[in-house]
Amino acid sequence: MGPVPRTLELFYDVLSPYSWLGFEVLCRYKNIWNISLQLRPSFIAGIMKDSGNQPPALLPRKAQYLRNDVRLLGQYVQVPMHLPKDFFSVILEKGSLSAMRFLTAVSMEHPEMLEKVSRELWMRVWSRAAEKAGMSSEQARGLLEKISTPKVKNKLKETTEAACKYGAFGLPITVAHLDNQTHMLFGSDRMELLAHLLGEKWMGPVPPAINARL
Amino acid sequence: MGPVPRTLELFYDVLSPYSWLGFEVLCRYKNIWNISLQLRPSFIAGIMKDRNQPPALLPRKAQYLRNDVRLLGQYVQVPMHLPKDFFSVILEKGSLSAMRFLTAVSMEHPEMLEKVSRELWMRVWSRDEDITEPQSILAAAEKAGMSSEQARGLLEKISTPKVKNKLKETTEAACKYGAFGLPITVAHLDNQTHMLFGSDRMELLAHLLGEKWMGPVPPAINARL
Repeated sequence: MGPVPRTLELFYDVLSPYSWLGFEVLCRYKNIWNISLQLRPSFIAGIMKDSGNQPPALLPRKAQYLRNDVRLLGQYVQVPMHLPKDFFSVILEKGSLSAMRFLTAVSMEHPEMLEKVSRELWMRVWSRAAEKAGMSSEQARGLLEKISTPKVKNKLKETTEAACKYGAFGLPITVAHLDNQTHMLFGSDRMELLAHLLGEKWMGPVPPAINARL
Repeated sequence: MGPVPRTLELFYDVLSPYSWLGFEVLCRYKNIWNISLQLRPSFIAGIMKDRNQPPALLPRKAQYLRNDVRLLGQYVQVPMHLPKDFFSVILEKGSLSAMRFLTAVSMEHPEMLEKVSRELWMRVWSRDEDITEPQSILAAAEKAGMSSEQARGLLEKISTPKVKNKLKETTEAACKYGAFGLPITVAHLDNQTHMLFGSDRMELLAHLLGEKWMGPVPPAINARL
C-alpha cells in the first residue's frame, strides 16, 4: 500500500466565483495527486463578519476588476463562468444562506452527492447553463425541509467557525494537512504553490485526464 | 525578423512584497517570452488613497500575508524575510523617497532601474534595512553599481517638480488602468489591453500571450540569445 493520502479541506461558498474555480481544479487533481479532498460548505457572509472584512465587490475598482478576472480565469480554467446581470444584487443582497444550509444538509445525509449538487448551484448562480445533478426530487425536497433545523444551521455555523479558526478572511480557503505542518491557502490562485507544498506536479488548471490514478 | 515583442508594463512599489515577486518572475521571463518589459515605479500609498486600504490593516489579512509572503518567497526563490516591525515599515515609514528616487533613475539612467529597484527590495524585504533615509537610498544605488556621484546627483533631484510629477503621473496611469493596489501588470496585445493584479496572475498572463508557463523559476537554458 502506498503512502497515506494527505487531507485537503476546501472551505467554500457557492456565492464565491473564486470558490468555484478552486473547487474545479481540486476536483480534477483529486484523482491525480495523493490527496483526500474534503468539501466543507461554509458561509462567506459569516466569515466576512467575523474577520471584519468586506466583500471586494463593495469597492468599485475591485468590482470592475473582479468582472474581468473571473471571466478570463473562467476561460483559462475551463469553467463556464458568466457574470449574472444582477451581479451586485446576487452578491450583496440575495446572499447564499439557504443554498449553503442545503449543501450542509447534503454533506450530512448524502455526502456522495455533495460535489455534484455544489456544482449545480454554482451553475445556477454563475453560469447561464443549468444541468441536472441527478438528485431525485424526493431527496431534494426532504433536504430542503431540513435546512432550517437547528442541526443543519449549527453544522454550517461550526464549519464556518472552523474556517475562521484557520484564519480565513474570505473564501475559498484550502487547508492542507501535511506530515509536520498545516497550511491555509486563500484563493483559487495558490494551487501551483499547493502542488509544491505537497511535492506533487502542477500541470496547469486543466491537467490531462490520462494521468488519473486508477 | 520575428513578430513584434508585446509590451508589458509593470507598475510596482518597493514597499510591496508581492511587487517584488512579480518583478523577479517577469525579469526572468523577459528573456524567454517575446515581450518588452517596461518598469513603472509607482506609489502604492497614492493608489490606495481614497480607494482602498493596505491589507495589513485587517488583522487576519496581516497574519495571512506574513505566511503567504514567506512561502511564496521560498517557492519563487526570492530571499524574502519579513521585517521585525512589519507594521511600522508598511504603515508608517512608507516609500515616497525611494519611489521618487527610482523615478529619477527611470528618467536619467533607465538601464539601471532593474538593479536599483532590486537593491531597494533587498534592503527592506530581505535584510530589514531602512529605505527612507538618504544614506539608505544611496547605499542601494551604489550596491546596484552606480557611482556615488551619479547616485547623489539623482538624490538631489527627488524633490524637484519634474520628478515629483513624473511619479504622480505614473501612479495616475496605474489608477486609470483600474489599479486598487500593486503590483499590476498591463499587457498590450494586438487587439486588447489586459490589467492583471498581483504576482499570482503570471500563468494566466502566459496564456494570454500564447507563451509557455514554466513556473516561477524557468530554466535559463531557454533564454533567447
